[in-house]
Amino acid sequence: MIQLQKSTIHRRTILKAGVAAGALQIAAPYIVKAQGEQPIKIGVDNPLTGIYTALGKNENAGMALAAEQINAKGGILGRKVELLIEDSTSDKTDVAVQKARKLIQSDKVDFLIGNVNSSQAIAISQVAAELKVPHIDPGGHADVITGSSCQWTTFRVCNTGAMQGNAMAKPLVNIGKKIYIIAQDYAFGHSLADGLSKAAKEAGGTIVGTDFFPLGTTDYSATLIKARGANPDILVDLAAGDDGINSLKQAVQFGIDKQLHLAGMQQELEVLEGLPPEARVGTWLFEWYWNQPKDVPGVADFVAAIRKSTGKVPTARTWFGFAAIHSFALAANQAKALDAVKVCHALEGLKLPPEVACQPGQPFYRAEDHQLVPAVFVGHAQAKGTSDPEDLFVVDQVVQGPSFIPPVSETGCKLNYPS
Amino acid sequence: MTQVILFNVLNGLIVGAFYALMALGLSLILNLSGVINFAHGGFLALGAYLAYSMAPYIGFWGGLVFAPFVTAALGIIVEHVLIRRLYGRDPLYSLLLTFGLAYIFQDGLRYTWGAQSVPYQIPGWLASPLSASLFFLTGYRVFMVIIVALAVAALFLILGYTRLGIRIRAGTLDLDTVSVLGVNVRVLRNLNFGLGIYLAGLAGVLAAGLLGLSPTIGDQLIMPSFVAIIVGGLGSLPGTLAGGLLIGVAAGLTAVFFPAAQEAVIYVMMALVLLIRPNGLFGDAGRVQ
Repeated sequence: MIQLQKSTIHRRTILKAGVAAGALQIAAPYIVKAQGEQPIKIGVDNPLTGIYTALGKNENAGMALAAEQINAKGGILGRKVELLIEDSTSDKTDVAVQKARKLIQSDKVDFLIGNVNSSQAIAISQVAAELKVPHIDPGGHADVITGSSCQWTTFRVCNTGAMQGNAMAKPLVNIGKKIYIIAQDYAFGHSLADGLSKAAKEAGGTIVGTDFFPLGTTDYSATLIKARGANPDILVDLAAGDDGINSLKQAVQFGIDKQLHLAGMQQELEVLEGLPPEARVGTWLFEWYWNQPKDVPGVADFVAAIRKSTGKVPTARTWFGFAAIHSFALAANQAKALDAVKVCHALEGLKLPPEVACQPGQPFYRAEDHQLVPAVFVGHAQAKGTSDPEDLFVVDQVVQGPSFIPPVSETGCKLNYPS
Repeated sequence: MTQVILFNVLNGLIVGAFYALMALGLSLILNLSGVINFAHGGFLALGAYLAYSMAPYIGFWGGLVFAPFVTAALGIIVEHVLIRRLYGRDPLYSLLLTFGLAYIFQDGLRYTWGAQSVPYQIPGWLASPLSASLFFLTGYRVFMVIIVALAVAALFLILGYTRLGIRIRAGTLDLDTVSVLGVNVRVLRNLNFGLGIYLAGLAGVLAAGLLGLSPTIGDQLIMPSFVAIIVGGLGSLPGTLAGGLLIGVAAGLTAVFFPAAQEAVIYVMMALVLLIRPNGLFGDAGRVQ
């Protein structure tokens, strides 16, 4: 009996082994083919928790749409695109770095994207350069990212403080000469404040005061009392996110908008939507806006697609994410390779086609510092949209990138490709 | 310049009154139950969101009245189900629990109301300055101070003259004896927790009128409240009140001379108080275990 059992097992084992071997032979070509069809992985290291959650999620929604469009058109080099999304948190730079390393070293992503927070974007850019992975910063605005800390692997979709300052200085000085600036006390706030101070002085304005307040300040009364005391023509509020909402809400409750002109540079739809109607005031710069003054090819389709997937109109953040993913696909398809050096060279000078650009003019990545040169939208906030409840901004003027981007020599960027 | 300083002192008192409201709630719970409630900011945010959702049906005033009660009811449930199990253990346990709860609250709010700030509107006549020269005295700020004053007065009346209040105060001093005398300590702690959370909910509704209403609204307000308790002295409610006012004024004054340090200054104050008067300005030595 025992012998019989043993022999049965033995026979079955052999049988199984035989079947497995046969299957391997049949399967072998498929395995190879499956390797060829392995998706191209793009790591997304953006905030999903904390104060920048809304901005991070909007950027990610744009990325998801872009990936879907790319896959529908055959992917990158014939392979599907897959997004690997990690939460960088909104303020913990060490977490952002750890996630960037995880995405590159353990998930083996081909490209990396991040981050809304400038400090995190700088750190991620250093990791990407060290590990030689092409990286796009979709929404961290600090100048150094494409300036003194620029890396051969890093490209940026959103604008620098200097760019916004140059674009906004003239419209502001036309309103009034005496300018008071309040800004957040970290890389982003300082970049914007420096950019505007320099450009406004060149345009004939005077900066009568600049105050930096800690990130996440809740009470702005003291700062506002001080700014008001300096008696400026314009109060420029450079705070972003919740800080922007809190400071504007309080400024309007103080009636400051009725005594002097409230303005700023980078304003976002996310902030205007979070404000009560009476606080939607002032002159601002939008880096991208969905309701543009003239019909531009691509915009309507983009707006409709995002509305379908999220139920809301795209914001500048959505477009940043959208443009970033498309940029990688365009560059890799053009280079016909995934090699970091080749893709980065292909990104240099890359012009965004109309369906990706979604704006008048043709944005391109400047080869010398890897900064995108897009148009910006200068206009004013409105309490309620006339035709659409999400239309909270009126574009008065479209300013083209080449007119406001400072020369490369002023950015302090020197790119060092590996030899 | 003198005017700017004077404005900021006055304004600091207004801001401080608000910190005090939150700190009093924290203090109540800490004194009787020994729980450092890190989820206080979560309850605050919940109160604000409830008022926001109630506003279309019962208006701003209805939200102001009912949202804190609903928040307090939830607080009573949370105490009953989770927090009471950790009484008598090392404070670290309840600290960890409420720390985790704070995260759960934040993500729950984000899941329910979205990550983006929502516009919370206050009545138009409150949202403007009372006079052109004292422009920082908006109707809403004055209203806030009045509500805080009323709430604080009511709290001290409850503690001073009602059976519940007297038992809470007695329990703060010696819970074992109060228990031996036949007071149901479990119910007492439960109601006391609810009272503290009511104050958090009220603070939340008031804060939403000044700040953008987002799931993280409580985070930025909770630390100054802890500082207010420590500066004022653990175990002393009048001390907590004074601590709140004091850090409000200090932050306001610092904003005039060195704006970037307006948040840091309250921690510097806390460090100084701990060095010079470790029990806080109004705390009694040996009172806190």
